[in-house]
Amino acid sequence: MNARLILTLIKKDLTLFSRNQFYFVMTIVGLVLYIALYFVMPQTLDENIKLGVYTPGIQTGSSLAGIQGVEVQPFTSLDELKDAVKKNEYPVGIALPEDLLNKIATGEQAVVTVYYSASTPDEMKGAINALINQMAYFITGQDIPLVMQTEILGPDLLGTQIPWRDRLVPMMAVLILGTEILSLASLISTEIEQDTVRALLVTPLKLRHLLSAKALLGIGLAFIQVVLFMTVIGGLTHEPATMILGLFVGSILVTGLGFLIASMAHDSMGVTSWGMILFIVFFIPAIGGMVPGILSDWAKVIPSYYLIDFVSRLSNYGATFSELSGNLMIMLGWSAVFGVTGTLALRRRYR
Amino acid sequence: MKQDAIVVENLSYHYGKILAVDNISFHVGKQEILGFLGPNGAGKSTTVKILTGQLRLQEGRVSLLGMDISKELEKVQARIGVCFEQPNLYEQMTALENLQLFARLFNIKNFDGYALLKKVGLDGREKDRVANYSKGMKQRLMVARAFVNQAEILFLDEPTSGLDPVSADSIRNLILQERERGATIFLTTHDMWEADKLCNRVAFLNQGKIAALDTPHTLKQQYGQRSLLVEISHDGQLEERIITLDKSETPDKVRELLSHEKVVTVHSQEATLEDIFLKVTGRRLTV
Repeated sequence: MNARLILTLIKKDLTLFSRNQFYFVMTIVGLVLYIALYFVMPQTLDENIKLGVYTPGIQTGSSLAGIQGVEVQPFTSLDELKDAVKKNEYPVGIALPEDLLNKIATGEQAVVTVYYSASTPDEMKGAINALINQMAYFITGQDIPLVMQTEILGPDLLGTQIPWRDRLVPMMAVLILGTEILSLASLISTEIEQDTVRALLVTPLKLRHLLSAKALLGIGLAFIQVVLFMTVIGGLTHEPATMILGLFVGSILVTGLGFLIASMAHDSMGVTSWGMILFIVFFIPAIGGMVPGILSDWAKVIPSYYLIDFVSRLSNYGATFSELSGNLMIMLGWSAVFGVTGTLALRRRYR
Repeated sequence: MKQDAIVVENLSYHYGKILAVDNISFHVGKQEILGFLGPNGAGKSTTVKILTGQLRLQEGRVSLLGMDISKELEKVQARIGVCFEQPNLYEQMTALENLQLFARLFNIKNFDGYALLKKVGLDGREKDRVANYSKGMKQRLMVARAFVNQAEILFLDEPTSGLDPVSADSIRNLILQERERGATIFLTTHDMWEADKLCNRVAFLNQGKIAALDTPHTLKQQYGQRSLLVEISHDGQLEERIITLDKSETPDKVRELLSHEKVVTVHSQEATLEDIFLKVTGRRLTV
């Protein structure tokens, strides 16, 4: 492999990239906007606890309204309550037993089931126990012996409550990488569209040099931007080496996808059309990064799921390298699939 | 004995079931300009693509500068220059940047892009983006790009296409200068006048086969007829008469015209390459 030829091509592509107003502006403005968005999002959480309650056979009326710092929402069925907690609309749901009053009358212990959403912090659980006892007092007017039974709804991610701006980080990372998919695909597609590739391939340059240069440029552009973003927002504080490795593999993944898009598109419009379709699909798992537990298992077939899950668990839930190595392997696997398919298709088109 | 710069033996090429080039053989000597003529679809582009390594060799043997292109393509490509018919330049780069890029690909040290651009008449516009160039300027830049590596063989595909007469003439002069420098030139053109003036030999390609290959002069002698075009004034109207030369009755016909008619002009004329192409292949060169 001739490094001089590859560097010459990379320099040429950087010149063309900097002169493509659309992608250049989109890249720079996008990066600045994502960083700005991160810093304008609230860093703190709402201190009021939103509580869903299911109290069959008991009229709570306005008796719970007096509890300080708690917004209580009664539910008419247990399924509705569990669904709301699972979707994280309510971090905590409390279901009182139907025979609560009988148990109180006979002096027996009553079992109260407490449902926590996956992202409810551990420290909140102690407060909830005290709150339930307080609630029972408000309802019955006396101290009653209660047994707490807890259940986590949705994936249990250690229960760390995450500020919204941090939940958006995986989504922003995917958006930054996604922009580079389009830029790279456009650079490759334009080379074919304007037939400049033929002029290159009658020189000592070979197709392998050309594709290597495009791949290195794509990985480099994506990686530098996403690392810059993560550095500015302080996303490299926990296990920085693991994060950088994950972002690097993610950059390879999107570069492979860029090759695939370029091989499918016949012109700039094609790049935009195919790029947007794949971009939307790739964006779906980002919703799961924002609201844990909302996505079904089918989202795992989307390759970006593993990148978003990687960034989300590492930056927001303190996951370690060993816990995330599976994600890295799957991302590398998808990168190989996209890269090989795209390269083969491009070889056919360049010839 | 001078070694041939281009040797093609029994070259054939198929696109699926379509035979584009049908067992052609020819050679081009060093410092020779060979005109490759033929209508669209005759197999010209396919031949050029094979010779320049854009298409893989399927059948036959091609040797450029003594190297087999199926074995030493990379070395061959370092020593050839190609000018494509359609502009395929980096439009968002300047003319100078375009040339410098190719100079780096050919690993040329101390490349003087300004001098080359001056040579093709683009001085003063070196730092303009190619997107702002006219068609003629782009064509001149394409020619300049083919000259970047001081190639030993130049493949020029319609290099004067779309140029005004002055620009076309300057490109023709450059081609002749390149030959003087020592380059061998493989010229594809539709312009018969250009082929006649520039080429040492011309090859007529028709349906994938070489129908004729020789010097323009020999082809004209072999296939064409010399004649006189005589304009006479008859009742105030101009009429044209053609008298074929090299025949026994020619002197009598000329004498008769001069003594009995009011002759306005007399021009000698010979067959054009276009006429010869039609005679040899039964097809017109330009459709």
